[in-house]
Amino acid sequence: MQLTFWGVRGSYPVPGAATVRYGGQTSCVEVRSGSGECVIVDAGTGMRALGNKLAGEAGGQPRPYHVLLSHVHWDHIQGLPFFSPAYVPGTRISVYALVTAAEELNQVIGGITRHEFFPLPLESVPADFDFHQVEPGVDFTIGVFHISPIALNHPFGSVGYRIDADGVSWAYVADTAPFDQVLHKQHFLSGPEPLSAGDKTALDAMRAALVERLKGVDTVVYDTHFLPEEYARFPHYGHSTPDQALDICAEASVRRLVLYHHAPAHTDDQMDQIAASYLAKGATRGIEVLTSFEGMSIPVGVEEMIVEEPTHPGTGVHAIPQVPK
Amino acid sequence: MKLRFWGVRGSFAMSGRDYLRYGGNTTSVELVSNAGDRLLVDLGTGATELAKQLMGSEFGKGKGKLPILLSHTHLDHIQGLPFFTPFFIKGNEIRIMGADPIGGLSLEATLQNQLAPHYSPLNGLENLAAGVSIESFVPGASFELPGFVVATAAVPHGNMWTTAFRITADGKVVTFLSDVEYPSPDEPLPQALALAQDADLVIHDAMHADRDYDLRKGWGHSPARAGVVVAERAHAKKLALFHHSPDATDEMIDEVVARTAAQTGVPLFAAAEGAYLDV
Repeated sequence: MQLTFWGVRGSYPVPGAATVRYGGQTSCVEVRSGSGECVIVDAGTGMRALGNKLAGEAGGQPRPYHVLLSHVHWDHIQGLPFFSPAYVPGTRISVYALVTAAEELNQVIGGITRHEFFPLPLESVPADFDFHQVEPGVDFTIGVFHISPIALNHPFGSVGYRIDADGVSWAYVADTAPFDQVLHKQHFLSGPEPLSAGDKTALDAMRAALVERLKGVDTVVYDTHFLPEEYARFPHYGHSTPDQALDICAEASVRRLVLYHHAPAHTDDQMDQIAASYLAKGATRGIEVLTSFEGMSIPVGVEEMIVEEPTHPGTGVHAIPQVPK
Repeated sequence: MKLRFWGVRGSFAMSGRDYLRYGGNTTSVELVSNAGDRLLVDLGTGATELAKQLMGSEFGKGKGKLPILLSHTHLDHIQGLPFFTPFFIKGNEIRIMGADPIGGLSLEATLQNQLAPHYSPLNGLENLAAGVSIESFVPGASFELPGFVVATAAVPHGNMWTTAFRITADGKVVTFLSDVEYPSPDEPLPQALALAQDADLVIHDAMHADRDYDLRKGWGHSPARAGVVVAERAHAKKLALFHHSPDATDEMIDEVVARTAAQTGVPLFAAAEGAYLDV
């Protein structure tokens, strides 16, 4: 399985000289199985460039596409109307998302293309859309991918996904706050609110379920929007720090953590410092820490292709194993 | 009057090396009168960069006042709203002024939809700490703002209308004509010409290179040539090509400027993020 990052930024796209290396587009990850099957996780602004690539691969022919949404905040859905394969008649786009309120998914997602916001409403886009409600704890499959939605702690609700295929697994954990100070519900927070006993129980249960689902996972892509000092100022914004992600990954014995959903204010130079400092911190806990950048493409569960010499001279067979870590 | 382009890109914010000289942020233009009065046109992603600068001034202390004109509510013109930090400081007074979109929703209801709890943790305009008033006007209206006189007109934009502005301060005139498509690039509508008459600067939609326009007729945007025709007929002194296509790299915009400048005697340039310009 291969992950390619088309948008790694949180909140809103940030063009300019300070984001050239890590990238300015918002959340979007392309997932490919060894057999070439594809799912897309989140439909942020990175989805535009991904769509152009996929449309090129398809050569103008309609193909089916599968899009898993963590939640429907603008930075996670705003690329969908700019996904060029949607304009090829016959294309089918299946969208999977959490339902958090009474409205149907097609209304919520279609709402971003209301004529006040976008020239073409979703129902007039040539592609056919179908919408699938996901529920934390209820697994499903898309082709070779086995997908487990995981409840996360974010305003109005959010889900992460553990995805297994090709005998390896990874997980997408964004957007989420940590599970101690704030329990996000479905109302506006101007700051942290006192936690009831029930809130604390709910947070503990959410955290335990996340750690449980991450056990045995090779790579975790985690919302690490904030540095600790930023989190201290905005604990109610619904995002985590790399330290909080490391704690979760250490408990779940995850091999590799990918920092993701970078704050829009973090410049390339700051990101270099974050990358270096958390690479070192991760090493002390036995976790490889990668800092995602736009265009980064990594295999899951396979560090690199290793060519071994034949172990039995004379057999003439060169074993070329892929080494799971 | 001074003017600064904080966002010049149409449709979609573009990051990366190919968009550094003209800039990748979506539309937002700041006007400052000689006396220091400020007016903002559109709240694309460019407005988030202006916000950082404003927070270092009276807006950081909750003492800022700002009128914002919206040409329309397509997302590239409002997507900076939830991240425009002066909205989060109590005491700031910010007016958002624009036409109601066609179809029945008011401007306020439209912006409420943008901040609906599904889409934004702000959960609605009422949670912005600053004093925010949403004021609808009927295009064609003229009004005064501190330091500025504004005339407006509706111009066609695909299946909807946008509002064009003629903004006067210190005896200088800036005309904002973005997201507009005329029946033909050679037949600008009279209301556009009236707003641009003798303007010191016309900022005009130039989403398409002239040679690409035939493929994109009816999408609501102009080729670069349309701005030239407006500027010539209205005797404008200068033309800024604006609302660059997300597909247009710096080199491609350079080429559009060269080709367009060769058609006309009107001084012109492609709008770029960056410094304050004297009008």
